[in-house]
Amino acid sequence: MMNLVYYELFKTYAKWRTYIGFIAVAVIIPLIMWGMHLQSGHNFVQHQLSSLQSDFLITGNLFNGWSISQIIMNSLWVHVPFLISLVAGDQLAGEATAGTFRLILIRPVSRTRILVSKYIATLFYTASLLVVIAALSLGLGLIIFGSGDLLAVDRDMLTILPEAHLWSRFLLAYSLAIWSMWVVASLAFLFSSFVENAIGPIIATMTVVVALLIISNLPVESFESIKPYLFTTYQDVWQQAFKEPMDWSHIAKSCSVLGAYSAVFYSMTWYIFKKKDILS
Amino acid sequence: MSAEVVLRTVNLGKQYKKRWAVQNVNLEIHRGDVFGFLGPNGAGKSTTIRMILSLITPTDGSVELFRHQLSTEREAALAKVAGIVEKPDFYLYLTAYRNMQIAGAMTLGKKPSRTMIMDNLQLVGLAGRAFDRVKTFSHGMKQRLGIAQALLCEPELIVLDEPTNGLDPQGMKEVRDLIVRLSREHKMTVFLSSHLLNEVEQVATHMAIINKGKLVAQGSVEDLLHSKLHNVKISVLPAKKSLAILKKLKTVKDAALDGDSISALINNADIPKVVRMLAAAQCKIYSITPQRSLEEYFLSVTEEN
Repeated sequence: MMNLVYYELFKTYAKWRTYIGFIAVAVIIPLIMWGMHLQSGHNFVQHQLSSLQSDFLITGNLFNGWSISQIIMNSLWVHVPFLISLVAGDQLAGEATAGTFRLILIRPVSRTRILVSKYIATLFYTASLLVVIAALSLGLGLIIFGSGDLLAVDRDMLTILPEAHLWSRFLLAYSLAIWSMWVVASLAFLFSSFVENAIGPIIATMTVVVALLIISNLPVESFESIKPYLFTTYQDVWQQAFKEPMDWSHIAKSCSVLGAYSAVFYSMTWYIFKKKDILS
Repeated sequence: MSAEVVLRTVNLGKQYKKRWAVQNVNLEIHRGDVFGFLGPNGAGKSTTIRMILSLITPTDGSVELFRHQLSTEREAALAKVAGIVEKPDFYLYLTAYRNMQIAGAMTLGKKPSRTMIMDNLQLVGLAGRAFDRVKTFSHGMKQRLGIAQALLCEPELIVLDEPTNGLDPQGMKEVRDLIVRLSREHKMTVFLSSHLLNEVEQVATHMAIINKGKLVAQGSVEDLLHSKLHNVKISVLPAKKSLAILKKLKTVKDAALDGDSISALINNADIPKVVRMLAAAQCKIYSITPQRSLEEYFLSVTEEN
């Protein structure tokens, strides 16, 4: 099994498309920071605190590497899912396009093991993309904007989190983000099993993610009853890491729902893949 | 005692909606055979091969490889089998060596040794291109690399679906020679599907013909080609007198002058009798040449069906 996973990872990272995500992140994150640096990000903080400045005396560097990294994490809604679906949507469809299913599926290895190795490679890529985002945004942010406490903006309150706790909070936030993005990766992986071209799974995944995000976030009464059943409703779980106190029951529930979605998507993929006739 | 059966299909069939692409195919291939699987385009050759190699799930029947049922013992059944379906496919962005590594790891369950990979590339004349990306390879080179990849697991049965498709005459000859070498030197059983009749005629010891999804003939090439009336060309003098004698014989059909010779349909077993009759009539026989080719046989059985 380890051999299969190794070669799936090797194939994944030998493809040019895999690096599109890393290159995009490596370009966009420094660009955001450069823009913020030129504009003086302090204006951003002042805008956030404008209503409070008459009542509170706020001191210290609140626009720092931590806060910029937290802002960048908002790309998890749409941008990162797109980059993930580029690779996850190609895992099975790419083999069909290239005809290499005819190469690997006649070997004395069960389809289940092949699928598991591909799924692990997909999850690994997803995690590696988020690790790169974390490393770049925190690393560059702290170098350019320095350190300090984090001003966490919630819907109805502002929380200032002390600098000393931020490493562990960001570690938790990115871990939750990886867990959340694995659902998107699993969805793209599922779509990838239906077709023989990677474009379809990418478009289908983004269509589903965007549509469900809209439903999850629109304050429309008729949507309220279905919101608890949508995975996008729980994808903001990483934001819990910046709340004080953290709502662990909400985190546990969200992680369970997201995990269940990943499991269901994977199981459906397995069922389809096991029965799939390789005709091309 | 007949050789071990390495591949057996029993009532194998595949149905797409209401149409049977393949129906009731019963094949039996023995160790050491070079088995030609013939059929016109769309006859069901590729579907049958895909069912044998587990790419397609049969609607009906079963496949047995080395006494293991493919449906229930897939890994054991495919352990000694390699194949190329339609055309060899590769990860074009990887080198030939890496492609060999991946195929080897999936078959052997471990990383194949460098020596093993290079020996197989050497066998097909690609050792010098081992570290070039496959996307730079010609079609013929890919075909040879596909065979090298298939041989990596030291298979006892190799299934080749149209292995010379798209190759130039030189490439076709190389692949044909390789098939003969695999059979003779490496003692492999070869299952060769083709619509090129002369290809099968040149290399196969046994064959089956499929038409419209159904098997219409199966046996040794020798037996099949000699099982019916042969078209023979008889070089004999005087031709007209000889023709008159042949026309009187019930075992000879369609006798006619063909230039200075006579062409006729004669059963193999009746040829000595024909020779005796002509000799008794003082006719001089210079040669009797069977004109029946596989193409002729193929057309006769496919048209009958």
